[in-house]
Amino acid sequence: MNELFGSSRVARGLVSSMAWLCYAFLLVPSLIVIPISFGNPGQIEFPPRQFSLELYRQFFTDAAWWGSTVQSLIVACLTTLATLVLAVPAAYALARSRLPGRAGLQGLFMMPMLVPVIVLGLGLYLQYSNWGLLDTTAGLVLAHVMLTTPYIMVSVMSGLSHSDVALETVASIMGASRLRIFFRVVLPQLKTSIAVGALFAFLMSLDEVVVAYFLTGTDSMTLPVKMYSSLRWELTPVLAAVSTLLTVLSLMIALGIIAMQGKTEASK
Amino acid sequence: MAQSSSASDLSPWTALLLLAPLTAVMLLILIYPLGLTVWTSLYNGRFSFDAYVELASSTLFLRVLRNTFEIAIGGTLVSLIVGYPVALHLAAQPPRRRTAYLIMVMLPFWTSILVKSFALVAVFGNQGLINQFLGFVSGGTLNVPMMFNRVGVILGMINFLLPFMILSILGSLLALDRRLILAAETMGAGPLRIFWKITLPLSLPGVLAGVLINVTLSIGMYITPALLGGRQDMMVANLVDFYTRQTLDWTAASATAVALLILSGLLVALLGKVRGSAGLAGAGA
Repeated sequence: MNELFGSSRVARGLVSSMAWLCYAFLLVPSLIVIPISFGNPGQIEFPPRQFSLELYRQFFTDAAWWGSTVQSLIVACLTTLATLVLAVPAAYALARSRLPGRAGLQGLFMMPMLVPVIVLGLGLYLQYSNWGLLDTTAGLVLAHVMLTTPYIMVSVMSGLSHSDVALETVASIMGASRLRIFFRVVLPQLKTSIAVGALFAFLMSLDEVVVAYFLTGTDSMTLPVKMYSSLRWELTPVLAAVSTLLTVLSLMIALGIIAMQGKTEASK
Repeated sequence: MAQSSSASDLSPWTALLLLAPLTAVMLLILIYPLGLTVWTSLYNGRFSFDAYVELASSTLFLRVLRNTFEIAIGGTLVSLIVGYPVALHLAAQPPRRRTAYLIMVMLPFWTSILVKSFALVAVFGNQGLINQFLGFVSGGTLNVPMMFNRVGVILGMINFLLPFMILSILGSLLALDRRLILAAETMGAGPLRIFWKITLPLSLPGVLAGVLINVTLSIGMYITPALLGGRQDMMVANLVDFYTRQTLDWTAASATAVALLILSGLLVALLGKVRGSAGLAGAGA
């Protein structure tokens, strides 16, 4: 009745067919890699004419694929941990102090989100080639900490703005030390927003390709860089298996985040 | 109130101590490399703007710049034309069903850009699903090249841009007061007139923000043109890589990167004006 485009059946039909075409365009490509990954290992084929797990065997046994996957997982874990350790206390300090220049610092922490990633890739490449950090895990983790900081920041700041300051005040009046308040009163309230931010940072680091492409070489190559060069030069069917695994992982992380966010909203 | 906030406030020294490590990392890993890029573009044995003068007269740079604008604006327009009806469709759904559809819209947002690129080649490539179908229908005569050319870049681009456009317009549509539409209908306005006089004008803020987000995101694109475009579809980000790796001309690479930085800085500032600083959060990723 009170639809946004009135009650014309033609208009409604047109809009919904357009919408479903778009849903298909957004959804089908990602889904189609799944049957391809269980099909013919010789070529990319849809619909697959045989069933085989050969592509997965290749993925898990080829050192170039599996090695870069392990490297990516290591980088993503280290990045998530390091960003949490750096960004959670910083977000807390921003939210609970009256330091002059807070807005400027917050701008600095958010900036990586606003700078084209290729510019950061080049800058870090120039810097790391002077400092001997090219093709090192530490260098890449540092870069990813910078890239993921805004996302953890956003999540934790929003958690802090919903958390109850009065509890901290009470704890403080009852003589709890600052450190004790932080670990016993603040952190428990931030559990969900920290988990959401951490999952997001993990996924971002795991999928990040542009900076990693500039900074890594044969020693520290991550999975996205390996995928990028494979897409560029050989287009092997193994990509279907990798894509399927990555899609399932991202989907699990996304659903985890949505579920956690839904839970916090429901409890408010 | 003042008392309770002072009791929960951190002392300035504690706050500084907590902020210092992250600030140091950001200065070292974000500000320093950006400064170094600007420096490299300006200093090559001596201080000069030569690199920028050369860029401005380089046919390669100008062609790439034109590509970048064409692709960014073209992709944004397609994304707007496709995205608007989708936002309308979503806005008209009951909340529970809307959430379910939104998850479909957001799926590409969560998927790695490399997975999306591979998937698009599998669907739209020369041996892809659509061309197989066209070949089957036409008896093997029809093959439409949709990958590794401009069409491929735009397809990849909108697959990436659509979620941002749809969410931005949807925000405006959901904020729209539906009683206006009810009133217009009661007074006998037809659907086209309602759309034209009420829905469209009131959704323009969302459209404008969506367009700006899309243009900002697309001018810096690197992976999509590299993987789904042809040699003529190079964009500014690809040129930065080309100068860095192929010609090893770090001065030109830096000047190109600074040009891109300024361009996207202007767009981000414009976006900030349109949506307020909170809106910038959506422009990331």
